[in-house]
Amino acid sequence: MSQATLNRPLSHAEMDAFGTELDALRARTMAQVGAEDARYIRRIVAAVRYTEAAGRALLFFGAFPPAWVLGTLLLGLSKILENMELGHNVMHGQYDWMRDPHLNGKTYEWDIVGTSDNWRHTHNYKHHTYTNVRGMDDDIGYGLLRLFPEQRWRPFYLFQPLIAVIFALLFQWGVAIQRLELGKVFSGRKTKAQLREEFRPVGRKMGWQLLKDYVLFPLLAGPFFLPVLLGNLVANGMRNLWTYAVIFCGHFTADAETFPKSVVLNESRGHWYLRQLRGSSNLSGGKLLHIMTGNLSHQIEHHLYPDMPARRYAQVAPEVRAICERYGQNYNTGSMWSQFGQVVWRILRHALPSRPGKTAALVAPAAEAA
Amino acid sequence: MSPAPNRLLRAAVAAPVFDFWSRQFGSIQAWDRCLARVVARREEARGAVTLTLQPNRRFAGFTPGQHLNLTAEVEGVRLTRSYSFTQPPRTDGRLRLTIKRVENGRLSNALCELRPGAVVELGEAYGEMSLPQGPGRYLFLAAGSGITPLMALSLALEQNPQAEATLVYWAQRRDELCFAEELRELAARQPRLRLHFALTREPLRLAGEFGRRIDTALLDEVAPDLPALQVFACGPRGFVEDARRLTQERALRFHGEAFTPPEAVAGGAPVRVQLLRSGQTLEVPAGAPLLAALEAQGLRPASGCRMGLCNTCACRLVEGVGQNLNNGETVAEPGSELRICISAARSDLTLDL
Ligand SMILES: Cc1cc2nc3c(=O)[nH]c(=O)nc-3n(C[C@H](O)[C@H](O)[C@H](O)COP(=O)(O)OP(=O)(O)OC[C@H]3O[C@@H](n4cnc5c(N)ncnc54)[C@H](O)[C@@H]3O)c2cc1C
Ligand code: FES
Repeated sequence: MSQATLNRPLSHAEMDAFGTELDALRARTMAQVGAEDARYIRRIVAAVRYTEAAGRALLFFGAFPPAWVLGTLLLGLSKILENMELGHNVMHGQYDWMRDPHLNGKTYEWDIVGTSDNWRHTHNYKHHTYTNVRGMDDDIGYGLLRLFPEQRWRPFYLFQPLIAVIFALLFQWGVAIQRLELGKVFSGRKTKAQLREEFRPVGRKMGWQLLKDYVLFPLLAGPFFLPVLLGNLVANGMRNLWTYAVIFCGHFTADAETFPKSVVLNESRGHWYLRQLRGSSNLSGGKLLHIMTGNLSHQIEHHLYPDMPARRYAQVAPEVRAICERYGQNYNTGSMWSQFGQVVWRILRHALPSRPGKTAALVAPAAEAA
Repeated sequence: MSPAPNRLLRAAVAAPVFDFWSRQFGSIQAWDRCLARVVARREEARGAVTLTLQPNRRFAGFTPGQHLNLTAEVEGVRLTRSYSFTQPPRTDGRLRLTIKRVENGRLSNALCELRPGAVVELGEAYGEMSLPQGPGRYLFLAAGSGITPLMALSLALEQNPQAEATLVYWAQRRDELCFAEELRELAARQPRLRLHFALTREPLRLAGEFGRRIDTALLDEVAPDLPALQVFACGPRGFVEDARRLTQERALRFHGEAFTPPEAVAGGAPVRVQLLRSGQTLEVPAGAPLLAALEAQGLRPASGCRMGLCNTCACRLVEGVGQNLNNGETVAEPGSELRICISAARSDLTLDL
């Protein structure tokens, strides 16, 4: 189906009503947030810690293959949980109301090579405020991939099927350097000195992560240095691939849209909601999938309510969907296979020159003229 | 531990990981926070409980007359309130606090229900009331839970042979008096403490008890030498204000500490915003978005979306009443994160900014 028929442009009045309904749903849900959510996130913290301890302990016996496999899986699982359900969500300030300094959005530091501070800037601020706005949301292809026909084609993109795979394997490194905006250095819009300054905290974090996973823990294992090192490498790789897949499914499926910079001018709340909806896509699945994706399987709900404890997304999803239906908006959801398939197709298709298709405007033209 | 390995260890173990495992193994040691375990609990009076706490090594000590911020978890949410030490420092390092239940109070009632074994978090001791060594004559005026720091100061008289004090302690009813026995015994063996109870809602009075609120006649009776005295008054805001009005002009010195939280002001009345990190204090109109108000005065706090969703501008509310302008809710819980782009001041505020 073409995107133009999926969505109905809304008049300004409709847009306001749409925003009011979503605001009311938010208020209703936030009023319920409390002890249960606190218990939940503490259980997640415990799960992260215990799986990490168990994984690392098993890896010390990594010369014995079943222990290596199980240890690596557990450590990978721990890192995924820590990254998504814990780190990503806590850094959005979803649990700030608990006032727990270890679960504070502004100070939480996660277990990847990228610094939390840079993430808070590129993700919480840039990506969430300017979601899928071309030239403002650097998450669109991460400055490396051409995923939308609106991005200008260059011969470089012919290699993107290969580049995408490398990027997936090294995803945490991509996240780590995103804020450095190396492209600006190459094009001369940023000086080397500036880059050095900005790299300092990033380098420190990278150094520390490398030291921890590839020197300290392997050394602790003594003669089993190598199995531990490999286990850590694979666990980090698992986490990279999984987070890459989940994040790409959230914004780069077939029906996800991008927007020109002009949309954010004097944007109303309803318009902002609508743009979040049109730029995001969900993954359907069971409870386990939701937890393992840090509830980014509810990417739509996450983009509407980035600071709502993520475990509440499943609860609000049916209502969000009903609101979308009432306003003639597509609620983009599908299985991981189907959504990821669409992402892969985008990567392949837009490696070659392509021209934008037709999408429905956000605002109804008649209303805009009025 | 020598500094270098210490630093390495600090880098190697993240605080949240250390604290998690420490608690899993039932320890109150923490990376950089002061945790304390409740080791004893006693019903002190009707509606008041005394807790004895064993703090971890991070506790830095206090002097009698001081308070601390205590944090405990209630229904998954951490609440912070001030409580006063009710004893001078002890040789065993334990701390005694007395908590009076406040009707519908969120933390006081939860603390009164704590049993030995429970763990709470402590901040640093603070407060200006003290009993310096050397000659000094004091008038202690306490109402309700205001007795707590004055109890510690009364006990401290024993270690300060040149100080003497008169304590007047108000409560509504006799069975609400905290430390009644302890105070009587102290006054009996320590002639430098003169003790008076005042009960405002007790039908039958005993010898030596007053039956009314603070007034000039009462003060003339207990402290005819007021101009030579330093007055410390603690209790509800109204009580401290009355005490100030009646004694500030006449006494050698007046120091009052109100135990009731600040109240929200309406409209655009100017309020003072104290910024802890930048060490500045500014005046802004109550009810105006703080980010814009601070920027209007030349400050550049971190910000991003300016619509309350990216959390970039969040900063900790240390004290005072704020308001979320998106939903109108007031925020008065110390330690809350205020997104200043969508929050306003509703009283004098202290922010960790
Ligand atoms: C420097 C200082 C030292 C203190 N020391 C002690 C102490 O040693 N022992 C002690 O029991 N308390 C002490 N307090 C008071 C204490 O900090 C809390 O305010 C009190 O326990 C109520 O907290 P809560 O969470 O139960 O009530 P909240 O949930 O915060 O408030 C519930 C309601 O009660 C009102 N209220 C709040 N506090 C009081 C109060 N003290 N009296 C009457 N009404 C109130 C509020 O305005 C609100 O309407 C001290 C306060 C200060 C500022
Ligand atoms: S600036 Fe984004 S939440 Fe305030």
